[in-house]
Amino acid sequence: MKNLWEFWISRKSRTGVWDQCLVAFAIIGGILVMLPLLALANITIGQLADLPYFFEVATDRKVIGSIVLTFSAGLNAVLILLILGTPLSYVLARTQSRFNQAVESLIDIPLVLPHTVAGLMVYILFMQRGLIGAPLAGMGFFFEDAYPGIVVAMLFVAMPFYINSVKEGFQKVPVHMENVARTLGATRFQAFCLVVLPSSVRHILNGSILAWGRAISEFAAVIMIAYYPMIISTLIYYRFTTGGIKESTAVAFVMIVACLVVFLVLRTITRFVGRYDDRV
Amino acid sequence: MIEFEDVSLTLGDFSLHQVSLEIHDGDYYVIMGPSGAGKTIILETIAGLHVPESGRVLLDGKDMRSIPPENRNIGLVYQDYSLFPHMKVEKNIAFGMRMRKIPQADIEKQVRSLMKRFGIAHLAQRSPLTLSGGEQQRVAIARALAIEPGVLLLDEPLSALDPMTREFFVEELRTIHREHALTIVQVTHSTSEARELGTRMAMIMDGKLVQEDRVEHVLRSPGTTRIARFIGYENIFDGVVRSIEDGLSRVETDGVSVWAVSSASIGQRVAFCIGADEISLYNEVVDGSALNVFPGTITKIVISGALALITIDIGIMISAVLTRRSATEMEIEAGAKVFISFKASAVHVMDEDEVTPMKHHDPMATT
Repeated sequence: MKNLWEFWISRKSRTGVWDQCLVAFAIIGGILVMLPLLALANITIGQLADLPYFFEVATDRKVIGSIVLTFSAGLNAVLILLILGTPLSYVLARTQSRFNQAVESLIDIPLVLPHTVAGLMVYILFMQRGLIGAPLAGMGFFFEDAYPGIVVAMLFVAMPFYINSVKEGFQKVPVHMENVARTLGATRFQAFCLVVLPSSVRHILNGSILAWGRAISEFAAVIMIAYYPMIISTLIYYRFTTGGIKESTAVAFVMIVACLVVFLVLRTITRFVGRYDDRV
Repeated sequence: MIEFEDVSLTLGDFSLHQVSLEIHDGDYYVIMGPSGAGKTIILETIAGLHVPESGRVLLDGKDMRSIPPENRNIGLVYQDYSLFPHMKVEKNIAFGMRMRKIPQADIEKQVRSLMKRFGIAHLAQRSPLTLSGGEQQRVAIARALAIEPGVLLLDEPLSALDPMTREFFVEELRTIHREHALTIVQVTHSTSEARELGTRMAMIMDGKLVQEDRVEHVLRSPGTTRIARFIGYENIFDGVVRSIEDGLSRVETDGVSVWAVSSASIGQRVAFCIGADEISLYNEVVDGSALNVFPGTITKIVISGALALITIDIGIMISAVLTRRSATEMEIEAGAKVFISFKASAVHVMDEDEVTPMKHHDPMATT
């Protein structure tokens, strides 16, 4: 055992000798990494053991429809955040009003609330008799058990992830840069569009990915307002309660594969977007 | 002409208190003061980035309160250059002209001419983040000049540069000032920059304008001991005027009497400072025109580059500066007996109100 330890710590990294402290930290931290790794391996092995069944589930129109619904509702929520959340993030980043803290606390509410509570709040607001739901229902726009309901619930829970990330991005753009743009003839809006936005594109993309990930993983908040049409979380829960573990894990594995592919693509894109130092 | 009329403004921890100053067309105006004094706020207020809480800012006699920065035609260069990282050098320089909707052909011509003028034509397609400090500085100045501004504001433009690049830019800024007949307002910490470049200067301390005059006047005749200390006076004392003869005052400090040109009256408490470069050092007593001649003992020698700062005990500790070569030729060493002399006109007497309890300012204590 001692020899094994000495073997590891004597190995050289790319930058020199292995740091004993870092090795120890990596071993401790590794325990945490084992958790998702084991869970992933467990479900993967289970599915690979019965591939024909997995393909049957993966090609099920209901499953595919549910994944498309989930992804598109999440995308809709992100689009709304891009339009409404970006200006809000800029205001929060560039002002030091005493209201800022209150606004930031309001936005962070979904982070600390149980998601059933978040779902209930959304439901009460957007149900047919709700404060917002009632007038919109009068115009033929419904949220209960409808696509807009899913989007609104997703928007509610994903909001803090987007706002906080983008606000941080805007804060990192030096005010001096905007000031110079303005003296050069740009209005505040032009300075925002031509200088601040392009400089924060990585944070906007990261915020969007985080928010989208949070949106598509939502379950509790969504089922409170829209059990139907079934998003993937609802479908997995439904299959789990009606068809058992085998049926639900097959659907879950399809979702895992779909998410892995999408996030891998997005993360690859973010590596290249918004990098302005052409030496790297 | 830029005029500040009793301008007051608070921005977080920084503030200006009733600042009034006039910057004339063609001035190279230097704003000096310690960190946090409010110097940059003055620049940004001229640019229109802040609106005064009270008082007025006038540009050529016109109140600028309602004129936004984009309509003031004022160039601004920060210490960090603030180049736009997502635009190539060429695009950075063209930015102001694009905002002004100048025809593309004219933009290209102007950008080419500026890049050639500043020797950065080979960097046209480079990202600003890959440039050295000196290169970024050139791009930032070219970008500000591209809009042909009426006023150029420079916020400590040389402080981040290495000494050689800095020397180059001092000459460059002098040329720009001359060639473009520009009004330049520059914030700096450096006395040498003020001396080398400025025509007039304002000293800002704690958000207040404490002295404003021609650069050489402020540097030769600081209004307060605090200003004297800030601009690097080594010898600052307080004393009492004991007698007045032939228009000269005899000021006594710690038993040492010094002749000074002053309008102070007998018995008045005053502060006075003497530039280390105004003091001559001899191995033997010599006849000269200087009224103030004292024997003393060298207590400390500090060599800094080509200069030697020598502290002499003449009853009070006084510092003189020699070239390193002179110090070597005079075979100066600690403990040696020497004579010092300085003219009465080299003793600058300041207001009684500004007398500080400090007997002697040791330059080493602040470094």
